[in-house]
Amino acid sequence: MARDKQKRSCGQVLAEWRAFVWDPRSRQVLGRTATSWGLILLFYLLFYGFLAGLFALTMWVLLQTVDPHVPKYQDRLATPGMMIRPRTETLDVAFNVSAAETWQHYVRLLHDFLEPYNDSVQAARNAACRPGRYHEQPDEAVPNVPKRACRFARSALGPCAGLGPPGTAFGYAAGRPCVLLKVNRVINYFPGENKSINVVCAAKREEDAARLGEMAMFPPNGTIDLMYFPYYGKRVHVNYTQPVVAVQFLNATANEDHHVECRLNAAGLRADDERDKFAGRVAFRLRINRD
Amino acid sequence: IQLLEVTQHVETHKHIKSDDHKLSTEELEEKYGTSISKGLSSARAAEILARDGPNSLTPPKATPEIVKFLKQMVGGFSILLWIGAAFSWISFGIQFAQGAESPFDNLYLGVVLALVVILTGIFAYYQEAKSTNIMASFSKMIPQQALVIRDAEKKELPADQLVVGDIVEIKGGDRIPADIRLIFTQGCKVDNSSLTGESEPQSRSCDFTHENPLETRNIAFYSTTCVEGTATGIVINTGDRTIIGRIASLASGVGNGKTPIAIEIEHFVYLVAGVAISIGVLFFIISVSMRYKILDSIIFLIGIIVANVPEGLLATVTVSLSLTAKRMAKKNCLVKNLEAVETLGSTSIICSDKTGTLTQNRMTVAHLWFDDQIYSADTSEDQTTQPFDQSSQTWTALSKIVTLCNRAEFRPGQENLPVMKRVVVGDASETALLKFAEVVLGDVMDIRARNKKVAEIPFNSTNKFQLSIHETDDRNDKRFLLVMKGAPERILERCSTIMINGKEEPLDSEKAEAFQTAYMELGGMGERVLGFCHLYLPENEFPDTYPFDTDSMNFPTSNLCFVGLLSMIDPPRSTVPDAVSKCRSAGIKVIMVTGDHPITAKAIAKSVGIISATSETVEDMAKRLNVPVERVDRRQATAAVVNGMELKDMSLQQLDEVLCNHSEIVFARTSPQQKLIIVEGCQRQGAVVAVTGDGVNDSPALKKADIGIAMGIAGSDAAKNAADMVLLDDNFASIVTGVEEGRLIFDNLKKTIAYTLTKNIAELCPFLIYIIASIPMPIGTITILFIDLGTDIIPSVALAYEKAESDIMNRRPRNKSKDRLVNEQLAVYSYLHIGIMQSVGAFVTYFTVYAEQGFLPTTLLGVRVNWESNAINDFEDSYGQEWTKYQRTYLQWTGYTAFFVSITIQQVADLIIRKTRRNSIFQQGLFRNKVIWVGIFSQIGIALILTYGLGHVTALNFTPLRFQYWFVAVPFAILIWVYDEVRKLFIRRYPGSWWDKNMYY
Repeated sequence: MARDKQKRSCGQVLAEWRAFVWDPRSRQVLGRTATSWGLILLFYLLFYGFLAGLFALTMWVLLQTVDPHVPKYQDRLATPGMMIRPRTETLDVAFNVSAAETWQHYVRLLHDFLEPYNDSVQAARNAACRPGRYHEQPDEAVPNVPKRACRFARSALGPCAGLGPPGTAFGYAAGRPCVLLKVNRVINYFPGENKSINVVCAAKREEDAARLGEMAMFPPNGTIDLMYFPYYGKRVHVNYTQPVVAVQFLNATANEDHHVECRLNAAGLRADDERDKFAGRVAFRLRINRD
Repeated sequence: IQLLEVTQHVETHKHIKSDDHKLSTEELEEKYGTSISKGLSSARAAEILARDGPNSLTPPKATPEIVKFLKQMVGGFSILLWIGAAFSWISFGIQFAQGAESPFDNLYLGVVLALVVILTGIFAYYQEAKSTNIMASFSKMIPQQALVIRDAEKKELPADQLVVGDIVEIKGGDRIPADIRLIFTQGCKVDNSSLTGESEPQSRSCDFTHENPLETRNIAFYSTTCVEGTATGIVINTGDRTIIGRIASLASGVGNGKTPIAIEIEHFVYLVAGVAISIGVLFFIISVSMRYKILDSIIFLIGIIVANVPEGLLATVTVSLSLTAKRMAKKNCLVKNLEAVETLGSTSIICSDKTGTLTQNRMTVAHLWFDDQIYSADTSEDQTTQPFDQSSQTWTALSKIVTLCNRAEFRPGQENLPVMKRVVVGDASETALLKFAEVVLGDVMDIRARNKKVAEIPFNSTNKFQLSIHETDDRNDKRFLLVMKGAPERILERCSTIMINGKEEPLDSEKAEAFQTAYMELGGMGERVLGFCHLYLPENEFPDTYPFDTDSMNFPTSNLCFVGLLSMIDPPRSTVPDAVSKCRSAGIKVIMVTGDHPITAKAIAKSVGIISATSETVEDMAKRLNVPVERVDRRQATAAVVNGMELKDMSLQQLDEVLCNHSEIVFARTSPQQKLIIVEGCQRQGAVVAVTGDGVNDSPALKKADIGIAMGIAGSDAAKNAADMVLLDDNFASIVTGVEEGRLIFDNLKKTIAYTLTKNIAELCPFLIYIIASIPMPIGTITILFIDLGTDIIPSVALAYEKAESDIMNRRPRNKSKDRLVNEQLAVYSYLHIGIMQSVGAFVTYFTVYAEQGFLPTTLLGVRVNWESNAINDFEDSYGQEWTKYQRTYLQWTGYTAFFVSITIQQVADLIIRKTRRNSIFQQGLFRNKVIWVGIFSQIGIALILTYGLGHVTALNFTPLRFQYWFVAVPFAILIWVYDEVRKLFIRRYPGSWWDKNMYY
């Protein structure tokens, strides 16, 4: 079974390549004549044109079948997640009290976040709802009528509302930072089975509680009013204002990491998913440095 | 002549310095410390055995197992996967050092990739070991025994226990257990064909007849056979030091190149690896310039490599080949080397032996001449009657001579066997006559018993006749019957009358002329002709009590009555002419290479169709045109019969010319060494050459050939060792069935590869679009491995069971340099047509799943960075809802599963379209290949198990999928099938068109 490979000189190889690129005898470019190239390009143009058209068509059909107001399935969102503000690239709130540039951006983020919560905006757009119960707005005759949103008073966040003098906003300058907590929006979600719900925060490990120190919740007790539920989706519930809870760390030990966990306390809500660390709860790191 | 060549052959490599043949018995006894009467003592024999080692040929040095194993670990795509694994570990290391949250994903991925390489390597190694074992067991099947005198006693010993100086006894039918200097012989003949290719048995005696140890008569060689007689001898060489051993070791010196399929697979691996690396590098550059992190870019690179490499394919190819090997073994082709399966399919020249391969390897009566007329006899393998006219009185007389003037006998205890299968003690011609008589007349032994033999002169080379005198079974006739057979001209000389229609007539010149014509005609057919005559001795001169004396010949041996001629030939196997014509239509040139006489060779070649009825040799043309041979245009002759002597004087160019110009070639009177020259000549023409062989001396040619075929029955161990394939029934027709299987597997491997390559695009596109459009990852690396090594394996093996689309034996052998296993059309059609369609179908499912969960297609574009951020746990969907990271990841896995399921569904369509390359599926039949359906069900079954059974094991990234998503890709599967039917329709409608050239793979 012995067969030696034919050895070709470098020149031959080069000549072969040149003949492949342009063969004057058979008038072929890269192994094909002009007609052949024309046909093949035309073929692929038609073929891929057809496939692209087909894809576009199926996408269009898909969009036609999808309800624009409520997604078909919501099984993945049975337990809403929770998040903090300010949100940075990591779930950290770490700054140096004496160096304003280390916390300035937190303050700015919080201001930006709370912009729509200003009383002027709320009064103009949203309705005053009856607190303590779900604010249901069933469709009567016409489906998907626009829904009204309930007012959220920014001032309810107390010192964490950021309404004080600019230098003292959110307590960062004083080393008593505020962190806002919010519950993820989920369409047609009714938390707490008609009982009031609230957010509680604590050190992740109990033994660290002392070093984390006292915390103040705003609105008091970290309560979220039921009137902000349900959410009807961004199309009909345009001005929906997501309820927020603030936590202020009053005297956390400086120069060390604190792992804080806040959870939503609501009947029928399980916040202990092993895999999803953010279902019904949120964990973040807090570090206050002092010189 | 042939022995001389062996000598030259051997002596050029290793000098044989032996003078054992010149020594006297006493000197030998002294030299080897033995005694002819008592033999060696057991203790002494054990000593020598310890010194010299066992008397067996050392098998060719095998590659160490560990090297074989490691080769499997780094061969083919393994390197690419190792690179992938290395990258995974590197990125794990970097991420781990950076303290990222989930670095272990990459660690696992690397481990999985390494596992894939190791497991497929182990599998390939196991497959190879299995086929090697078949051969190993095959060669150990028959342990040889030898009759030895030791401690003054005769003992049966295994032949490998023999040592130099042992006294061994051999008898007819035995294989010579070592090189033996004969010291006592009685009518001993040996068949040296395995050594020299000479088919005539040669007599052996105790006399020193030639200086050369290979030519002298008093040495018998290891592995040759004793045909008849008995002999006693002293063992002078054992094991590798025997002549055979030295020649066998020569064979290992002939190089062993790559098989065509190995070259094809290498070509294919290069192609796919080239695509993988270039796309990988291209997108690495793109992703870096799109400001992805280097680490991310490396992870993309791994994904692209994994998507591009068909991990399961090489294992599939091995399995397909071994399935075919099994199928071939059932048809009597035992393949030693898996890749030889396909080599046989691409064979363009078969150099075949004559004796035993093309012929039945037994002399058979082919023609009779009596009453001035030639009759043909039946020469098929299982004759039970003879159809020629048996009414003439001459036939009665002739049959009597045939029956009585014959010393051959059936071995007892075979009465129930068909005549043709019975074992006979006697030489080839006598055996032929005995069987012929038994078939025509019935119980020959009984006839002989009734016609008692009173005197006999056996055949010898000076007389060239055999004679015996019998009483007759006619009670009223007290005369003795003298019967004689022998060389026709010698018999005729002794006759004065000739029997015509039962009457004795004087033998005049006209009758003698008729005899000559018949004799020439039968001889011209390559047959061995015998003449028969008889004489009823007058009762008055030779009464009951007459003392016949064979030495003084006191009875008449001339003026006899000539009765007839019988001619014998080793007839072709009945399946061979058909097989040869199959080869012809399959574009395979059959060359006969034989040690026989050119006339016999040509006659057999003509009768099996190697030389077709209409074609002529140069000599034939010269005869027809009545001009000297030199003046004939050699190019006009399609056939050629080349004598070994001519071949010897030919230059390479002349040989090339012969091989090139003649389509029908017979090499006669050739030695096994010349076989090597012929094989090399054919290979110079660019042919893929299959060579058959049985002798030890064939082994260099067997090694040199692209595929060496050894004979399973007649073949020597050395030939079997050197060969790639063993023909269990020694039948040429089995080679042709093998060729058919080989061609089929080539076609089917094309289909398998096309099937496997297609989904690589559907696995690759997600990565490319993920990088470019920054959508959530549509399919995971692990998921890809589950397709490549899970759902796709059984279907791709199932394609090996596909029947041929058309008569594959009606097209020319594939051109090695043009008809590639994986050609441009195959790659383009799989990658750019079906592959792209599959990707579209899979993406539609992917977008459907996301849309129905809240992420409309437009929302998905450009989300990659935020989507994958661990810190963002309020990612907004198209409806204003917010998602945590895990909720998104779970959705992403559902996307993987949906993508996986879509590919699987479309691969079912791909599998169905790959059943044919040209014919419509309806022509081929959807249900003819049942294994395909096993493949389809397994594919869907595995997918169901992965999605619903293992959907909760997070590491595998599968999630239970809503049932309706299984059907999203079905329209695309149907589209694929319709598109392929249209493609095939146009190919059939417009052969040779632009479409045919670009779309047929």
